[in-house]
Formats: sequence, C-alpha cells, structure tokens
Amino acid sequence: MSWLRRLISRKRMESDLDKELRFHFESQVDDKMQSGISESEARRLTRLEFGGIDQVKEDCRESRGTQWLESIVQDIRYGLRQLRKSPGFTITAVLTLALGIGATTAIFTLVQQVMLQSLPVNRPDELWRIGDEPHCCNWPGYSQDSDGESGDWNLFPREAYKLFRANTPGFEDLAALQAGNQSLAVRRAGSAGPAETANGEFVSGNFFQTLGVSAWRGRLLVDADDRESAPPVAVMSFHAWQEKYGSDPSVVGSTYQINGRAFTIIGVAPAGFVGATIVDWGMPDIWLPLSTEPLLLGGAARIKNPRVAWLDLIGRVRPGTNPKTLEAQLQSELHGWLASHLADMTPQEKAVWRKQTLRVSPGGAGFSRLRKDYGESLLLLMVTACCVLLVACANIANLLLARGLKRRQQTAVRVALGASRQRLVRNALIESVTLSLIGGAAGVAVAWAGARLILYLAFHMLERSTWIPVQASPSVLVVLFALGVSVLTGVIFGVAPAWMSSHAEPVEAMRGANREVGGGRPWAQKALVIAQAAISLVLLSAAAMLGGSLRNLEHQDFGFSPEGRYLVRIDSPILSGRKQEQLVPFYREIQDRLSAIPGVRSVSCATYAPMSGDQTGHEIRIQGRPEPGPKDDVSADWTRITSGFFETIGARMLAGRTIHEDDNGNTRHVAVINEAFAKKFFGNQSAIGQHFGPAPLRNAGTYEVVGIVQNIHYVRWGFKDPARPMYYIPEAQTARFDQLDLQSDELLSQNLFNIVLWAPGHPANILMQVKKTLAEVDPNLMIYDVQPYSKVIQGTFNQQNMIASLTWLFGAVGLVLAAIGLYGVTAYGVEQRTSEIGVRMALGADRGSVVAMVLRGAFWQVGIGLGVGIPAAIGAGYLMASQLFGVAPWNPLLLAGATVLLGLAALVAAVIPARRAASIDPIQALRSE
Amino acid sequence: MKTKDRFDLPQGTLDLLIMRVVALGPIHGYAIAQRIQQMSREALQVQQGSLYPALHRLEYKKLLAATWKPSETGREAKFYELTAKGRAQLKTETDNWKRLTELVGLILKGTLEGAS
Repeated sequence: MSWLRRLISRKRMESDLDKELRFHFESQVDDKMQSGISESEARRLTRLEFGGIDQVKEDCRESRGTQWLESIVQDIRYGLRQLRKSPGFTITAVLTLALGIGATTAIFTLVQQVMLQSLPVNRPDELWRIGDEPHCCNWPGYSQDSDGESGDWNLFPREAYKLFRANTPGFEDLAALQAGNQSLAVRRAGSAGPAETANGEFVSGNFFQTLGVSAWRGRLLVDADDRESAPPVAVMSFHAWQEKYGSDPSVVGSTYQINGRAFTIIGVAPAGFVGATIVDWGMPDIWLPLSTEPLLLGGAARIKNPRVAWLDLIGRVRPGTNPKTLEAQLQSELHGWLASHLADMTPQEKAVWRKQTLRVSPGGAGFSRLRKDYGESLLLLMVTACCVLLVACANIANLLLARGLKRRQQTAVRVALGASRQRLVRNALIESVTLSLIGGAAGVAVAWAGARLILYLAFHMLERSTWIPVQASPSVLVVLFALGVSVLTGVIFGVAPAWMSSHAEPVEAMRGANREVGGGRPWAQKALVIAQAAISLVLLSAAAMLGGSLRNLEHQDFGFSPEGRYLVRIDSPILSGRKQEQLVPFYREIQDRLSAIPGVRSVSCATYAPMSGDQTGHEIRIQGRPEPGPKDDVSADWTRITSGFFETIGARMLAGRTIHEDDNGNTRHVAVINEAFAKKFFGNQSAIGQHFGPAPLRNAGTYEVVGIVQNIHYVRWGFKDPARPMYYIPEAQTARFDQLDLQSDELLSQNLFNIVLWAPGHPANILMQVKKTLAEVDPNLMIYDVQPYSKVIQGTFNQQNMIASLTWLFGAVGLVLAAIGLYGVTAYGVEQRTSEIGVRMALGADRGSVVAMVLRGAFWQVGIGLGVGIPAAIGAGYLMASQLFGVAPWNPLLLAGATVLLGLAALVAAVIPARRAASIDPIQALRSE
Repeated sequence: MKTKDRFDLPQGTLDLLIMRVVALGPIHGYAIAQRIQQMSREALQVQQGSLYPALHRLEYKKLLAATWKPSETGREAKFYELTAKGRAQLKTETDNWKRLTELVGLILKGTLEGAS
C-alpha cells in the first residue's frame, strides 16, 4: 500500500483500528462475565487491564511506518486549527512578523540590487575596469590628484584608450564609455512635433561586444561605426524604446534628428541591459559612437584633446590573466603615454607625472555611482531594519513563550495521556513554522510596498526623464532570505517553550498551573522585554538625531535666500538652432520677457545656479604671484551670470560692485569673487582691483576683481566643508585663450542652463506663466523643470530625508512592537497572579498598591532596558557621526526625548493590565482556585 | 491481578510467538493473546499494548495478512494469517531461536559448573 493511499484511507484505517481494539475489549468483558462477574464490574476490570486505549492506538499507528507523514498532516491541521482558535494571537504575530521581515527584506531588496548585483551581461566576472573610483565627467590635465593623493587615474582621454587597447594583450577586448552623459534633443526625421529630450552616452564601437550583449532588435554598434567617415548611427536602450517610443518596431532603421544631425537608429539593446554605468541621474537612452562627438559638440568636442580625460574604460580579460600583471603593464603604458606629452604639460604636471598611477578593479558591477553614493545609507538602514527585526522576533518569542506557558496544563494533560515528548515538540514546531511562513508571506508583501516607498522617498524629486534601474519587486534570493529569517524565528521560539513544558512532570504542571506567584515568572520573557526597550531606545534616538540633522541641513545658511525664488532648468538654445553669437541677446530677451510677468521682481540667468546639481572649476593664477607649487590647491569654481544675479538670488555684496548691464564685450573683463576666494588668494590685502585668470600663468591678467559677494553654497554636497573659492563673470564678455580646452569651456559656458526668478508672495500660476513665456521666446527650447527653490533644496537632501523618514518609521514600529511586548508580558503576569493578587487584596492591599505593584514590575524591566539602551544609543550616535550634520552624537536633549517617548509607551502598555489587576475581585479570585 | 508468574519477553520474541500462533490458522488478536497464555501454561500474558502494535508492524512488513470475518461470537473481528513471506520468516526465525537457546544454554551451563 503506497503512502499516498495510506494517507487517503486514513479514516478507514482509524475506524478499523478502533473496531479491532473494541472487539478485544468486548471479548475480554464477555470472558469475565462468563466466570460470574457482573457486567459493570467486568467492564471496570477490563478497562483497568487495558490501560490507555489511545496509547495502544498511537503505538499501532507508529508501527505502520508512514506514521510521520500522517501525523505531520495531522499536526498542520491541528496547528491551523489552533491559530484559527486564537485570532488575536495570530493577527498580532503575523503583523509583527510582517513588519519585521518586511522592513528587513525591503532594505535587503535594495542592498542586493545596488550593492551585490552584477551587470546583466555575459560572464561579468571576466570584466575589469581601469580605475577604482567612479568619477564624473571631465578631468582636465595630465595629473589626476585628488584629496592630496597623487595620481590615481580613473578617467582617460581617447588617445590613452587607443594606446591601451592596442598594446595590452591581457585584454580580450577593451571598451570606452563616456563618464557622464550628453543631453540630446531627438526628433524623428520629417516629424513636425517638438523634439524629445534624451540622455546620450558616447561609447566605443566595441562596447557591446566587450560586454557580451546582443541586440534585441536590429544590430548593435561595431568598430566600423566608430570611424570618422562612418555614417552616424545610434543604438537605443530597451527602456527608452518601450517607454518613449511604445516599442515601435519601425524605430529600428529609421533616421532621427539628434541635436540637428541625422542619425540612423540601428538597433535596440536587450531588455534589462542599462549600460555599464549605474547612476541616479540619467541612465542612457541612446548610445552613440565616440567618433560622432565632434558632430554633436563641434568646437567643444573632447575626442581629439589629450588633455581632457572623460572616458571610463572597461575590458574583458583573457582567462588566466593575473590582474596584478595587467595593472603593472597598464601603469607602464600610462607612463609611456605621459612621457610623450611632456611638451604640453604645465610645470606642476611635470613635477608629478612620474607619480601618476592607476589601479584595475573588478568591473562585473559596472561603474556604479549608486553603490558609492548609497552604500553607507543602505548599510545604516540595513542595521536599523535588523534592529526592527530583532524587536519583532523578541515579540514573537514572547508571544510564543506566553502561549507555551499558558498551555502548560494542556501539555501536561497530553503527556499524561501518552503523547511522546518528540511529538509535542514537533507539534509546536509545526505550529510556529506555519505561523512564520504566513508572516513571511505577508512580510514579502510589506517588503514590496516598502521598497517602493524607499525608492519614492529617495528619488521622487527627479523628473520623469531620469529613470533608476532599481526595482521594488523582491527577487528569489530576497524571498528566500525572508523565509529563512521567519522560519528560524519560529523554530527557535516556538520549540523552546514546548521543550520546556514537555519536560515538566505532568502532575506538577497540573497541580501548580493556577498557583503562580511573582517570583516564579520566567526570566526569558523579562529579558526579551528589556532587550526590546533597549533596541527601541537606540532606534528612536538614531531617528531623532537623523531628523535633527536633516532639519539642520535644510535650514542652514546657504548664502542666498531660497524664499520666493524659483529655479528654471533649460537646455542649450544651440540645440534648437541658435548660433554662438546669438546667445547673449537670446538670454537678454528671456530676462526681459520673464521680468514682465506680473509678480516677478527680477530675473537672472547663470551657467549654473546654486544647488542646481552642476558646477565646474579649474585652476587659476593670480597676477604678480609666482607659479604655485605642485601641492598648492589653487582651484576655484566659476560661473557666468547676467546682470542682477546676486539681487535676484538674495545674496549680499560685501565690497565693490555687482555685475551690471555695462559689463559687455566692449569693456574690460571683470569678475566678482566670493569671500572664500578673497580670503584664500588675497588674505588681508584688498582684493578689489586685483587681476587673475585661469591657469597657465600667462592668463593671469584676464579678469579684474570688481566686487566681493558672500559665500553661496553651490554644490549639493560638502555642507560640513569650508566654502569653496568661486568667481562670477558676465555673460556678455568672452576672453580669448590659446589653450584648446579653456577656449571650448569659454564658449560652452555661454550656454546658461539655469534661470533664477525672484517672485515673492507666491504669485498665482507662476510656474505655468514661466513655461508659457519661454515657449513664446523659443518654442523649441528644452525646458527641464521649473521649481520653487525650497523644493530644489529639499531635493538635495532626498537621501538624508529618506534615511531620516525610514529611521523614524522603523523607530515607531520598534516602539509599538516593544509596547505590545511589554503589554503582553505584563498582562500575562497579571493573569497568572490573579489568585496571588486576590490574596493580597483579601489581606488588605488596596487597589492603588496593586496598580503600583504591577507598574513597578513593568518599569523595572523598562528601566534596565534604558540602562542598556542609553549607552548603546550614545555609541550608535558616534558610529553615525559621519552621517550627522550639526547634531552631536552625545545629545542629552534628544536622548531625554527618546526616553520620555519610550516611557510613555511603556506606561500605556503597563497601565491597561495594571487596571485589570486592580479590578480583581478577591472573592472571585480565591474561589476560582 | 495475575502478576505472579509474569516475566518480560526478550526483544523480538513476541513477533516470533505471534507468527507461530498465527501459523496454526486464521485467528484474531484476542484469540492470539489467549492462545499464547494457554500454550505457555498461563506464564506469559501478552498485553494489548504490545500485541496490537506488533500485529500492525507484522502486517505492515507483509508477514501477516488480515481479513475481516465474523468471529465465533458473531461479532466481526480482524483475522490474521501468515503470508508466504511470513511462513519463510517463521521458519528462519524458529531455526535461529533454537540455535540461540542451545548456545546460550551451553554457555550458562558451563558458567554454572565453573562457579559452583
């Protein structure tokens, strides 16, 4: 008989067994009656001789061999029945598990995708990149020193790439890709509609081949496409093809106007492939061959300029290649290449070129900015989520322990009736595993929603055109992780109480079941509550610190006033067909037209406005000073502005004058510098009237300083760092430089990408009006967004906001769970001590003292929890110090706040059972025994 | 209670006794217990707690087969009989038992002689 049939015919076998034993019983009774004993006496004797009939049955089932399977089915049914019978317990447990597992899994989903995942390419482990830090976007010059460390090369010019590719046999193939992105205006040839914006990325012809990716539609780029004479072609990403072009098959093979040039889209990259760069701003929609860069950028193209490093390099190594050997070879190639450019190096570069070096690093994960930018935050969140999971597990443990203890009497009865210890433990095991699996399933649902929430919090300020290759749906690995955690929790805390109570002597258990006094309560439960209180305190204080840090960040003095200001981000008017010499009048017109909108007080344009996300800098030289040494930091950030900029943005002039209408092509070249610039380069000297210019030294006379403005925080990072030196030059003045790269920057910077409006008092419809007016000036002008400045600043702190919000959320969940835990333990204690409390009250204890007794017990546990939690919270503060802004790790006020919050939650959780204890009727309590 | 002459059966012996009794013809559980008691001159009393698990074990191992038939009192009872496999098993086990008791007897005899 197969085990399956046995399972199915279980009912019949059960009745057969019963019938068989009953026959035996009756026969024995008959025999006794024949020897003259009365029937009732015969039955009594037989029953005595027979012993436990259920024990016999159990042994018979056992000897059938397939017992375990039958009984597991039985146990699962039994377990489900038990869970159904106590919905309060089940719902609490499932919710607790769902929250704990959900939080951990949500974070783990993101950790896995951001930190652990490889590119979806062929054999990613064979990919190695040259360089070990992700950088953006251009690096000028022959030395790549950063943070005082000399020459760790990460970006390369095309010339060096070609050299490496030709001379390094360790690479089967070596590809280059742009380390930034290129904004594109794309329009189907012959279509009349407005052009669409897209992110472009220049890549070498062998890019797809190196990664081992094949086309979804059409074909991908090959080396033949990456030649100057080749017809311009481009490849579209699957995501862009699906989202922007509705998976239209006719895209492949069609001609598109890209920034006014005709390109043929030759293919679509496969689904899931998003390139080799993972960033949170602008994943590539279109890949273009490197050779088309001059076609799109004209004079600003970098492809022929050996002084501008702008390419990331990634290669597939031949099997068996030693990375160390490869690194050494590439280093010597780098030196050889640098040596060939000694003639055009600056004196500083000449001093350090021998110290320039490079490192190779595994490239299977591509160039992930995301990994670099979010790694620390995700780690912090992972730790926080694990704390929540710990609190949740402690709660589950507590619930199961209390349940196990409550059932002690029942367990004792079952032991007395002959249930084996093994069976009891297995029973508990199955029940708690079933419970955890339900919780785990609910947790996966919570995780899915949670990951979406995190993505929303982290990235919702970004416009729709940027898309992040991170999904909220948990992968198989993550689901397994969740199930593993839940089952483990269930096994540990479900089996322990069953094991303990199955070891109890049945008689003892049954006798003492109702007579519990305070001292006899299990230490395990108290320890769990203490741990919960401690962890909750750490979570709450971490949340308070991160929240305070976020508040400080958002409300710090940025050096301008965001109130009543708006930021407009546009693309270059050259994309919509203007010539370089038309730019100045074009921005003049924009400024005039926008100023005419009712409610607008002033308007100004800038290459980059503060906190818009972009900034640029270079080395400068002061007139009358010697060449700086190789270790001196002489860099300064700069931007072009139109008249009235400082007034519009709300920044204060400290000395001299601002830039005005009369600073044009016919007058001397002027600059306004910031306070940090004046302090750094002129010290106590008066800065006004001094001259400076971009390196090399012979440009030092270019600009005359006419004013000093307060420090305006420009970049979206480094809020703890001292202000960076910066200078502002008028849009209408262009200098002539002999250096190719300086000249191309000079022309490029005349494209003013940001417009700042000052329109106090929230004029109605201002955003629409601005868009409408800009469209009137140039219907083809690409407008990215129009935002109040306060929102721009908020967007800067999305990541901090996400961390603080989630830590608050986790802290709140932890607090609620801890309160539930405390409530559970206290309520259970009161229930167990009903008769003791009855005796106390009968002997004269009043209600107040009973309440006090219960509260005292609860607060003892919370007190010890605080004793453990406060030092832990301070320690956590020190560990988080790098994430905090203007919040000291040792912060008594925040800590006191968190303690009060925890105390209040504990009070609520303990008062309910305490009141119940006080309402015990002594007579009732004593009688029930 | 009849406890005076009872002693515990060595492990595995009960199976052998059951098969021996069943070999005499189809028989139900109660009768098996009775028969063992009679054949051992009331010295062995098989408890239900051992008998039925043993019967079920033997049935599961396909040494016994069972059918439901009316008993001598008219009630339906589960009658066991030996299968071919059971018959072979009975034979080997009986031989084994005989050899074992012989050997054990030999040794015990020797020891007793040496000790006296």
